[in-house]
Amino acid sequence: MNTALEIHDLTVAFDRKPVLWNIDLMIPQGKLVGIVGPNGAGKSTLIKAAMGILPLSSGYVKLYDQPLESVRERISYVPQRESVDWDFPASVMDVVLMGRYAKLGLFKRPRKADKDVAIDCLKKVGMEGFINRQISQLSGGQQQRTFLARALAQQADLYFMDEPFAGVDAATEKAIFTLLREMTNQGKTVIVVHHDLQSVSQYFDWVVMLNTRLVTSGPTSKTFTSENLEATYGGKLTLLTDVADLMRRENYPNREENVIKS
Amino acid sequence: MNDLYIILTASLVSASCALLGCFLILRRMAMVGDAISHAVLPGIVIAFLLSGSRDSVTMLIGAGIIGMFTTFLIEFFHKKARLQTDASIGVTFTWLFAIGVVLISLFAGKVDLDQDCVLYGEIAYVPLDVIITQGGINIGPKALYVSGIILIVNLLFVSLAYRKLFLTTFDPYFATAIGISTTVWHYALMGAVSMTTVASFESVGAILVVALLIAPAATAYLLTDNFKTMLALACLMGVLSSITGYYLAVWLDGSIAGAIATMSGVHFALAMLLSPSHGMIYKKLKTHIH
Repeated sequence: MNTALEIHDLTVAFDRKPVLWNIDLMIPQGKLVGIVGPNGAGKSTLIKAAMGILPLSSGYVKLYDQPLESVRERISYVPQRESVDWDFPASVMDVVLMGRYAKLGLFKRPRKADKDVAIDCLKKVGMEGFINRQISQLSGGQQQRTFLARALAQQADLYFMDEPFAGVDAATEKAIFTLLREMTNQGKTVIVVHHDLQSVSQYFDWVVMLNTRLVTSGPTSKTFTSENLEATYGGKLTLLTDVADLMRRENYPNREENVIKS
Repeated sequence: MNDLYIILTASLVSASCALLGCFLILRRMAMVGDAISHAVLPGIVIAFLLSGSRDSVTMLIGAGIIGMFTTFLIEFFHKKARLQTDASIGVTFTWLFAIGVVLISLFAGKVDLDQDCVLYGEIAYVPLDVIITQGGINIGPKALYVSGIILIVNLLFVSLAYRKLFLTTFDPYFATAIGISTTVWHYALMGAVSMTTVASFESVGAILVVALLIAPAATAYLLTDNFKTMLALACLMGVLSSITGYYLAVWLDGSIAGAIATMSGVHFALAMLLSPSHGMIYKKLKTHIH
């Protein structure tokens, strides 16, 4: 089984407060992967760190067995919809063409071929009727589809998506899911930060359960169990956070820490 | 001829400012121009103290260095101290400006400098400072050439780096993810703002520079939903303010820089009322119809 993403001993901290601690995980190619965990568990941080958007405090990330820099062109990203200003003076086409920027040289203009790719991607997300629409006039679901089209336009192999299902209607959710499934059927790997626990077993082949530390990562059928959910969200959780707080205060090294996995 | 020189200089400066202003307001950094134009005071004083000359190139270099330092400090306070951008801008420039004031007062005896002469360049004097070639031919005011060169540099910068600036302004996370450094383009833009501000306020005055960095871009923002159109419209609004402002000043026999800044405000107010997409009147009409 070929590895799309390998994370080793990853720690990310803001203001010395760890948001992610000691993450070790491996994700095989061609899977539709869900990252779940409570608010503040570090789900978005994990994918941002994997893409080099946030600095790592320790550890390393390998994509297709190589460091990020040498495979960046094969990686795509869908940020959270709220992370940008949708009143920005830009059209849907402007945004989708951004997906082509990495392929363009520093000062080259997008060619017709790039525009064709962009239009093709808009068709895939059902937005071909909105090519020249101002982004300020889009609904939440349409904004999300525009972001997806931009990511598709990169023609990457590995996609990180930060809550692509947040705030979209049921029809859009279904359309997006179908699209993601098509992508993984073509051998692409899609890693999605997800909030809705109800749909996890229906949507994802592989699930990563996270709460500052990695609870578990593996095939959904084996991994998405009530014990693991309990470990991620419930009961023991508060205790573990307390332990984590205490250890940070005491500056203990945390390598031997295996409480969560047991 | 003097009229033309003044209007032309003001137009060139306003086009430069408008181009950069479009990026600044969309990055919510509109007040950076204001900050730089004040914060460079200590740079000018130190440059003068070190070189002993009031030669404008020395001044420009001193001011330019402090200008970049200002943008660095703003970013530093924002990122490291977690201060809001506006607070970080406020702290930085008042502090640097104050140091400049202290320096001037300390060396007041030896230095032929005051806040007026460094901060409030007077656009009415543009035609007086002319370049005379070795053959003794008057080839026009220096400010005209300086602002012309600055505009060319800005046009080149914005057109060559257009997509990088556009993307890092709209979606910095995505830009970083595809390997475009937001830091590099942030400082490139701030460098351009710093250069433009410093080079312009010597000839047209700080207040006019600050007004021209924001008002024409804000007006254009209200008039269009297309970023390229916004850039062009902002330049146009800047030039329009320069022309109408100049004649307003002549008519009132008042300050030219003041009148130009006033007219840019008037244009903004008109756009606010009349814009087809964002205008208040149009919006009112639309709600009545529905």
